[in-house]
Amino acid sequence: MKNRVLILTAVLATLSSPLVLAEVAVIVHPSNNNTLDAATVAKIYLGREKSFADGQSVVPMSLAESTASSASFNDVVLKKSASQLKAYWSKLVFTGKGTPPKELASEDEMLKLVAGNPNLIGFVDASKVDASVKVAFKF
Amino acid sequence: MKLQNKARQHWLVGSVLLTTLYLPSVAAEVKLNGFASIRGTSVSSDGGLAPYPNYEEGELSFKTESLFAIQASADLSEGLSATIQLYGDGANDFSVDARWAYISYQLNDTHRVSGGRFANPIFHQSEYEKVGYAHNFSRLPKAVYIGFDFSTIEGIALDSQYNIGDYNLQTKVLYGSWAGESFSAVTNNFVDFGLNKIMSGNATLAGDWWQLFGGVFAAEIDGAVIDSTTVFPLAAGGIAFATANGATAAQVADFKNRLSWDKKDALYWFSGFAVDYSNWLVDFEYVDYGVKDSTDAINTSWYLALGHRFDNVVVTIHTEDYAQKADFDFLNGVTHPVLLATGKGIHNAFAQREFDGVGLSVRYDFHPSAAFKADYFKGTDTRAAVGDYQMFSFGIDLVF
Repeated sequence: MKNRVLILTAVLATLSSPLVLAEVAVIVHPSNNNTLDAATVAKIYLGREKSFADGQSVVPMSLAESTASSASFNDVVLKKSASQLKAYWSKLVFTGKGTPPKELASEDEMLKLVAGNPNLIGFVDASKVDASVKVAFKF
Repeated sequence: MKLQNKARQHWLVGSVLLTTLYLPSVAAEVKLNGFASIRGTSVSSDGGLAPYPNYEEGELSFKTESLFAIQASADLSEGLSATIQLYGDGANDFSVDARWAYISYQLNDTHRVSGGRFANPIFHQSEYEKVGYAHNFSRLPKAVYIGFDFSTIEGIALDSQYNIGDYNLQTKVLYGSWAGESFSAVTNNFVDFGLNKIMSGNATLAGDWWQLFGGVFAAEIDGAVIDSTTVFPLAAGGIAFATANGATAAQVADFKNRLSWDKKDALYWFSGFAVDYSNWLVDFEYVDYGVKDSTDAINTSWYLALGHRFDNVVVTIHTEDYAQKADFDFLNGVTHPVLLATGKGIHNAFAQREFDGVGLSVRYDFHPSAAFKADYFKGTDTRAAVGDYQMFSFGIDLVF
């Protein structure tokens, strides 16, 4: 009986895990003192804002769309599904008006790049954040 | 004139191709993107006329609306980039053409200047009308996106982007030219045609869930061929009859000048809005265009679409209308009754064709880079060879 409960619990946890969105942190270089909110970050990631408030140019970095952090970021910050986002960028890419943020393969790579470049902005699972980067905000 | 333009196009394409693909000494990042549509389409009319050419009545064709494109863009750093897009579609036997070939320079955060061969932003969605994945229709409504032959031009363009509080304003101005062939609905044939001194400007103001847009496109017609092959032959009988009934050489010369398209000004403009709110989608676009002070009739067309997004499915219904209005002002001052009647008759011939219809489209995003679409359209065309018709299609649009 105890084993069945354990197995059932494990199965439920596995099945329900995609529905539980992990907390995501928007990260910048530690030297970046700009105040960032979701609306500003959305403009940056949609190619409508090219600089931080202090005038420093900004380069947004994204994660592969299959990651939970990316799905959560698209949903909460950009308010678009992956398909909507791809359609949005299709209009820009094929008219020469913009290119989507570069997609990184892992959150470790994101942390490493953002920690080494003041122009970058990224996002990772909040549990992965370390002292090498600064958290602009979490959601 | 045409040969000169062809030579210039080849030079442009060659230059951009070399810049894009042959970069031995520059650490350029070359990005490859592409889009494709594979669509089976059936039309009940056997007219086979534009804007639905190449169909056999009732047959399912996987060729006519299928297309492929691949785009290479080289980032040369410091804001400089070179882009080439190779494009082929079934309507032209998948003959590959360099649809885009241009070099861009990002002047600052706000402005980017481009030179070369690129899309002509005739109407709001003209620049990406071939990218099916970018919209929810199987094809953008033909009443507005009728398939202009001058969809790609050579010139220079300035794209700008402004943030105004919570709103975003995008503008584009360009100068260019085009030479090629254009479809004449009067004769149902393609004829040599050109647009010189193209000047265009448009703007889109966007909030979180809405867009307002408008633009204008003006050009000087290079229409000597359409005059000699279409306009003047239509008038020849009337002119001969008028001459036999006392029309002077001066009256005939003045009359022909009024009928002609060559060196006249073409004016296109569009306006509309788009809404994407709580998964409800509304799109409206109204366009008005024609060759001023000529036999050409002014076209006034529009479409209105209402859609709803159900997770990864979008259902859209739309209605569209393509109309032409006769305006005989260009004949003011023509006093000979035969010439006047001939002019009105030719103008009516140019204004004869109208069509409208309603459609239902379904988009299903079944894959991160691909959408399945199906649609049904029921329309009426005033041309006797087309008349009432229905069409349906299904297929896949993808981007990569």
